[in-house]
Amino acid sequence: MTRFLLQRAFWGLGVVLTLVTIVFFLIFVAGDPAATILGPQARAEQIADFKAKKGLDRPLWEQFLSYLGVTHCVRTDSPKYRNAEGERGYCGLLQGDLGESYSHHEAVSQVIAYRLPRTLLLGTMAILFELAIGLTAGVVAALRRNHWTDTVIMFSTFAGISLPTYVTGPLALLLFAFLLGWFPVGGYGVDPLSHIYHAVLPAFILAIAGAATYARVMRGELVETLRHDHVRTAQAKGLRPAAVVVRHALRNALIPVVTLIGLSLPLLVGGAIITEKIFAWPGLGLLTIESIHTLDAPVIMAVVLMFGIAVQVGNLLADVMVAALDPRIRLGD
Amino acid sequence: MRSTPKTRPRRAPRWLGPLLAIAVSGTLIGAAITHFPKAPIGPRYVGAGIDEPRSGGTFVFAEGSNIYTLDPHFAYDTLSTAASRLLYDGLLDYDYEGNMIPSLAARLPEVSPDGTVFLFELRDGIKFHNGREVTAEDVSWSMHRLLSESVGSPGYPFFKSIDGAEAYHSGKAQSIKGIRVLGEKQIEFRLGEPDQTFLNAMAMPFSYPIAREHVERLEREGGRDAVGRHPIGTGPFAFDRWERGVQVEFVRFEEYWNPKPRPDRMVFLENIASDLASARFRGGGLDILFRPSKVNRLFFRSSTIWAPYRAEAPSPSVYAIGLNCDLPPFDNVHVRRAVAFAIDRAKLQALDQGSVVPATQVLPPMLPPYDPELRTRQIFDLDRAKEEMRIAGYPDGLPEPVTLWVRGEGDIRIAQLFQQDLKPIGIELKLKQVSFATYLKETGKPRVAQAALTGWHQDFPDPSNFMDILFHSRSIHPENSENRSFYQNEELDRILDKARAEVSRDKRLALYRKANEILADDAPWAFLYYPVDMFVWQPYVKNFRTHPVWQQEYRNVWLDLPRRRVSETIYRDNSTP
Repeated sequence: MTRFLLQRAFWGLGVVLTLVTIVFFLIFVAGDPAATILGPQARAEQIADFKAKKGLDRPLWEQFLSYLGVTHCVRTDSPKYRNAEGERGYCGLLQGDLGESYSHHEAVSQVIAYRLPRTLLLGTMAILFELAIGLTAGVVAALRRNHWTDTVIMFSTFAGISLPTYVTGPLALLLFAFLLGWFPVGGYGVDPLSHIYHAVLPAFILAIAGAATYARVMRGELVETLRHDHVRTAQAKGLRPAAVVVRHALRNALIPVVTLIGLSLPLLVGGAIITEKIFAWPGLGLLTIESIHTLDAPVIMAVVLMFGIAVQVGNLLADVMVAALDPRIRLGD
Repeated sequence: MRSTPKTRPRRAPRWLGPLLAIAVSGTLIGAAITHFPKAPIGPRYVGAGIDEPRSGGTFVFAEGSNIYTLDPHFAYDTLSTAASRLLYDGLLDYDYEGNMIPSLAARLPEVSPDGTVFLFELRDGIKFHNGREVTAEDVSWSMHRLLSESVGSPGYPFFKSIDGAEAYHSGKAQSIKGIRVLGEKQIEFRLGEPDQTFLNAMAMPFSYPIAREHVERLEREGGRDAVGRHPIGTGPFAFDRWERGVQVEFVRFEEYWNPKPRPDRMVFLENIASDLASARFRGGGLDILFRPSKVNRLFFRSSTIWAPYRAEAPSPSVYAIGLNCDLPPFDNVHVRRAVAFAIDRAKLQALDQGSVVPATQVLPPMLPPYDPELRTRQIFDLDRAKEEMRIAGYPDGLPEPVTLWVRGEGDIRIAQLFQQDLKPIGIELKLKQVSFATYLKETGKPRVAQAALTGWHQDFPDPSNFMDILFHSRSIHPENSENRSFYQNEELDRILDKARAEVSRDKRLALYRKANEILADDAPWAFLYYPVDMFVWQPYVKNFRTHPVWQQEYRNVWLDLPRRRVSETIYRDNSTP
């Protein structure tokens, strides 16, 4: 198990590093961050000043090594990165430093610190909705197989998977927020309760496709499990139908669902880019769009890094959880 | 007897799914048409009906992006500028007619006959939000902070005509030679060379004074960026709190030097896109709406109920097709003129349903010496366009297609109109869509883009801000050229240099009139349109006027509260509140 975890961590690190390298160079292929941040009104002099201040006037490979933190700090203006003699020190990814945002005028870690909890709230609520709606619907459909309830549920899941967020989101906003006034018209609110209230509609929209997937997987697995011998034995022993389903069938049927939950964990961090845009939810998703638009390289890098790590951790968790639930699976063999 | 779970129930018929789909969709659509509530057609709230101006209440407005900083020395985007206008004041400002007026200065500065020395005197009783009185020393210190290399403000180029500013900015001097404090309230600025745009620069947010002791304490404790998050200024509103990316709140400053009735609190919502802002406004959740979404703009324009609470004002901007004078075929002035005459700007106006005004010259209509009857103005005239093509030596059109660089979907939409417009004169237009970042990078290099959709929004209301930057040969560089049409004309350069230094307003305007004429005639840009901004406000919002310089100017509004909710039925009866 330990060997498996170490191996996975090693490969995960490799994947994340590769990702960071590719994205770093892609940013500079896409355009000139200094010109983009300062916009179409910028004077050549302002752009040159900005480049000198941020170290963007140096060769790209030098900037990259400095970004990683294996060479001296590129940023020379801040006393924070100088020692007592005024010599430049090291700063960069390996030192746990994500740099300074070009547009937000502050440390990237600070920008992320504002945005991440908001995205986690939205993602957590979305996963809870997915599980609550998806699993319930899946179980009901399985128990009522080929009944009209099953048909309705499966038809709904088909619609749920097919309808993209950019269709359901604006429609939900129009109906439930603008016309009926049940929910706020986008935004985040100013206190914890209002954050949750503001999150309900976007979380629900974000959860639709996931809930539909869970429902279909749950139904398929449960129908299959209900045919197994041990379930029939439990029924023959005269157990109550509810006990048969919950104690004997559901437990086995949940294993693939657990894998899916693990795989959807990155949703917590980065799955809501479009939803955040539609609902003006000021989280990481919205930050991603803005920073790509303004070519705010340090922020783009940080966000990509976080998404990369979230995917790696999610996959690892899924593997570990399945192994914990299913005694037939041994990790590392 | 206990039942067991059914594992083989009766199969539901196959047609049930599609039937259900049709039934559910039909029911939903039917219910939507007949039973769902209708969108509000008039204001949900009206005022108390008391005409006497008074302070109180909370004024809420929104924008679709982030406020990046509240440090005026970095306020170079529209949102940061709008927020800075609440928090700070400059020595100079503009009135609602666009005239320069004194603000923190007691009067307009005394100017030396050669136009290089400006003596300012501060008003008495101006206080920072921490209660300390503002002195000339504060103005000097703020200017030094703005122009220091280590701070790296993007405002530096606007002030480099101050004597010694360049030496100070490059670290060769300890202070700026041309800034002298003459007394507690008097400060003198001396320029290295005459520059009549200096006063415009002194009215930009970059020059707004900030409190030294506050900045130094913040920089000691939280780094330079802390100033932008915990600002202290001299403006009518003081900073209260900022939930980053969500909203900034300001409270009325009781000791403001220019007391007027104002709201107790201002709330500036961030990241609310125009469609959401429009919906919120119609539901009564916003007090003013700037630039409604397209659908809502049409709704408000056609609504008689909203008419008293709506204003449309041209934005001080111009949009155009930039024609690269360094590349064929636009190195030929006649081909450029042909394009300028072939564009039917009325179609643009129709496409954007009146949200633009056709542009005939580089200066927008509110900026003198704009001249609606300019001799060389660019208008749609197909015969002249064909004639110009003939003179250029292309009576049957260009042998090769021309590539026009565009950015988003909006650009594509209007560029397709130009494709149609240029066909009759034999120019085939190919569109090349690129990202914003690529566009900026590539169109700033000479000999890359043949033509590009381009535009300019004024930094300050002076013709030099359009002409010098966009068309002077000094603005051409190997990269990041401001002169993106790479137009070079020695005569124009001479006129612009002379106008920049000219002290007499009348003579300056005459020079810019001449420059305006040359630019329309030489057509480095085929001018397209001036955008029109729309504002809609709630009936209880009073004293709002559009400002010709500041895009969102809310420092003088007051609220007629308490507001009353009104029933939609009064609008359905065709009455107004």
